Amino acid sequence: MSWASWRRLRQATQVLFFVFYIILVFAVVQKRVAPALADIFFRLDPFTALGAMLANREWIAKFGLALVTVGVTLTIGRVWCGWICPLGSLLEWVSFHKARQRAKSISPRFRLVKYFLLATSVAMALFSGLTLFIFDPLTIFTRTLTTAILPALFYAVNSIEAALYRVGLLAPALDGFEGWVRGTVLPVEQPAYAQNLAIAGLFFSLFALNLLAHRFWCRYLCPLGALLGLLSKVSLFRPVIGTACTQCSRCAVVCKPGAVNADPEDFHIMPSECTVCLDCMANCKPGDIHFRFQSKPAQREEFDLSRRGALGTLATGAAGVILLGTDLRLRQENPWRIRPPGVAGEDEFLSTCIRCSQCMKICPTTALQPTLTEAGLAGLWTPLVVPRVGYCDYGCTACGQVCPSGAIPLLRLEEKRLKVIGKAIIDRNRCLPWASGVPCIVCEEMCPTPQKSITLEEAEVMDANGQPVIVKRPSVLRSLCIGCGICEHYCPLEGTAAIRVYDA
Amino acid sequence: MNRQPPFSRRTFLKLTATLAAGAALASCTPNQKPTPADIATTGIKPTIPPNPTAGTVSAQPTQAGTNPTETTSIPEPSPSASPAYLAVTHGPDPAAITRLAIQALGGMASFVSSGFDVIIKPNICTDYHPPEYATTTNPTVVGTLVTMCLEAGARRVRVMDYPFGGTATSAYAFSGIGDAVEAAGGEMHVMIPSKYKFVDIPQGRDITSVNIYPDILEADLLVNVPIAKQHGSTGLTLGAKNLMGTILDRGMMHMNLSQRIADLTSLVRPDLTVIDAVRILTANGPTGGDLGDVSQMDTIIASRDIVAADAYATTLFGLTGSDIGYIQACAEMGLGTMDLGTITIQEIQLG
Repeated sequence: MSWASWRRLRQATQVLFFVFYIILVFAVVQKRVAPALADIFFRLDPFTALGAMLANREWIAKFGLALVTVGVTLTIGRVWCGWICPLGSLLEWVSFHKARQRAKSISPRFRLVKYFLLATSVAMALFSGLTLFIFDPLTIFTRTLTTAILPALFYAVNSIEAALYRVGLLAPALDGFEGWVRGTVLPVEQPAYAQNLAIAGLFFSLFALNLLAHRFWCRYLCPLGALLGLLSKVSLFRPVIGTACTQCSRCAVVCKPGAVNADPEDFHIMPSECTVCLDCMANCKPGDIHFRFQSKPAQREEFDLSRRGALGTLATGAAGVILLGTDLRLRQENPWRIRPPGVAGEDEFLSTCIRCSQCMKICPTTALQPTLTEAGLAGLWTPLVVPRVGYCDYGCTACGQVCPSGAIPLLRLEEKRLKVIGKAIIDRNRCLPWASGVPCIVCEEMCPTPQKSITLEEAEVMDANGQPVIVKRPSVLRSLCIGCGICEHYCPLEGTAAIRVYDA
Repeated sequence: MNRQPPFSRRTFLKLTATLAAGAALASCTPNQKPTPADIATTGIKPTIPPNPTAGTVSAQPTQAGTNPTETTSIPEPSPSASPAYLAVTHGPDPAAITRLAIQALGGMASFVSSGFDVIIKPNICTDYHPPEYATTTNPTVVGTLVTMCLEAGARRVRVMDYPFGGTATSAYAFSGIGDAVEAAGGEMHVMIPSKYKFVDIPQGRDITSVNIYPDILEADLLVNVPIAKQHGSTGLTLGAKNLMGTILDRGMMHMNLSQRIADLTSLVRPDLTVIDAVRILTANGPTGGDLGDVSQMDTIIASRDIVAADAYATTLFGLTGSDIGYIQACAEMGLGTMDLGTITIQEIQLG
């Protein structure tokens, strides 16, 4: 097989993995996927695996799959980046002609940034801080799809449908389309997420950076790429330019990640930057670029992290963890910081959650929302139950099933139903029967516990017109309440509910 | 590097303009504002509840509050017998007593004509519990009704509800209704959010319009299949209360729940109400979760008159129609009768 055919195979593989990734995203939204498949990309990701294991100081069996990626990288290099990574593929497809020229003016030294990000992330993980894992490529992509792109897509489809339904003739066709997609591709409820713009902003800025250089993110910033790059320095087989080379620089021109050092004095391919895309081999006129068995580690590059630099990142990581950990927003008791069911302590949760947003994606009521400052900057974009937006469904255990790191434990339904995530408190100054003499008690009806956690007492009170009226007034039985928040969600009062769940 | 773009700027602009014009045309139809008139007129069915006193007294008129066990056991009613106003059947086999109840009302053929588009509206309120907990309508009862509609020549039978706990798909699956309906040849329909429309309620006393799922009003036959359950604010959830599943904003309904349910009932007017009392939930409803609150009643109550069916169902809980606000309100609006003494009730014990 020629290098050109291999390259076509690589491109086909990229498409295949990308489509697989997207299908899994939709399947997870609809809870139509086996838990073992739902987080397969995350389990293949050695960066999050390393982080979660370091922060927890234990072997997490689920992440054992990441050893496959490590093994492949140690054999032949960053195959993950050039063949599999869905974000990498997307950034490769979205490329701009002028980027090649512009990239020449960017010093290769900036490649250091990704190693610095990797080292700092790992250092922070050593001190149990996973905050920087918001920059893992998979978490970036999944989080953006979950909170920004899918809701926008669903909203667009729903809006267009609503407009088209006004044209009577189209109704049967629309019904047919709906019967096919609703509940399989499209969710029943329109999801909406906090900070969708900020999250999408980060994502789309990566595209904008592609204006400056091909695969800018992968070259200069990606911490996963940095980790695989380090491994590639000692991989068994590395791309090597042979003696037939005329230094025509075609390889350097076609290389998307810019892995060819075209310095005439030291013309070579940098294994740590190579994504095994095979473009150079397919384009080499003399046809003399090959994978060769290497017994010695690759040569040092000017942008490699020095010992001093590595120690510096360790100090930076430690300082970061300490500073983030002493944020008042994190240390203070926060009544609105309601975590998903089964999560034990805040510190333990923050040192296990990899910020991937799988839980937010699968939550059928979109109760799980990304935090901003509720857990300090340390907990940025971790999941939070926001009952006014959505309640924790009494018949659901989905979040624990798709959590790759086990930050949200996998629970059987009977176990999960006993997990107390908060306690509801009624504001009698606002509650309709208590404050206004208006019959209501939606909260009591919605309460899912087998014995209702809300009791009712009948009382004769004055209504809005000053007339006596008998209403049922609700009170919470604290011993029974599990804090699922369905009462707060459905409370018909305008704005803030008259019954609210507080972290307990 | 000078790659030719796939189409010129001019072509692109032309295409964009064409698409925009198409979209503009599509959204600028006369129905720009959701005008409910067209639905309201076609949606309200002219059917009036049959005259309560019509039909022969083939069974003893049962008084309100009568213990359902004191029944006159009657064998299969002959098809020629005049249809009952209200049928109550008891027996261990939910499918058999469902069939028998419909038969007593004159058979499914008196409801379904060939080619009918039928909607069955059970109570699938949550995805919390399997059928034994009596929180959702008995799947066998729903499945049997689907089969009977198809046997009578219905073109399609759709089953739908809008759960408040969990999603439609999960609740359909967990309640067992999804499987039962599909096995019977019906289809589970997920109600489409963008399809809801504001429709006027001409007879409405408290609410004069409601955002409702239009298919409910457009179906050739609407079969309302609630399960009889205890319910906090109204006392019991039965036929009329079950219609809350056809609208989206239920919070606002609770401000004056009884009258608003009656107003909604005046708009929806199901052609047939079949109350599932195979198992009933006597406390901690409508969500349930404790088998100790479930009573096995092995009973089906069916009528064209939703008020009469509801009024009869209250007796299973030791109440009467006038104890439940929305039954009273429905009766006052003339949507049916809750006076069980004046109607022909056929009560049949099977097995």
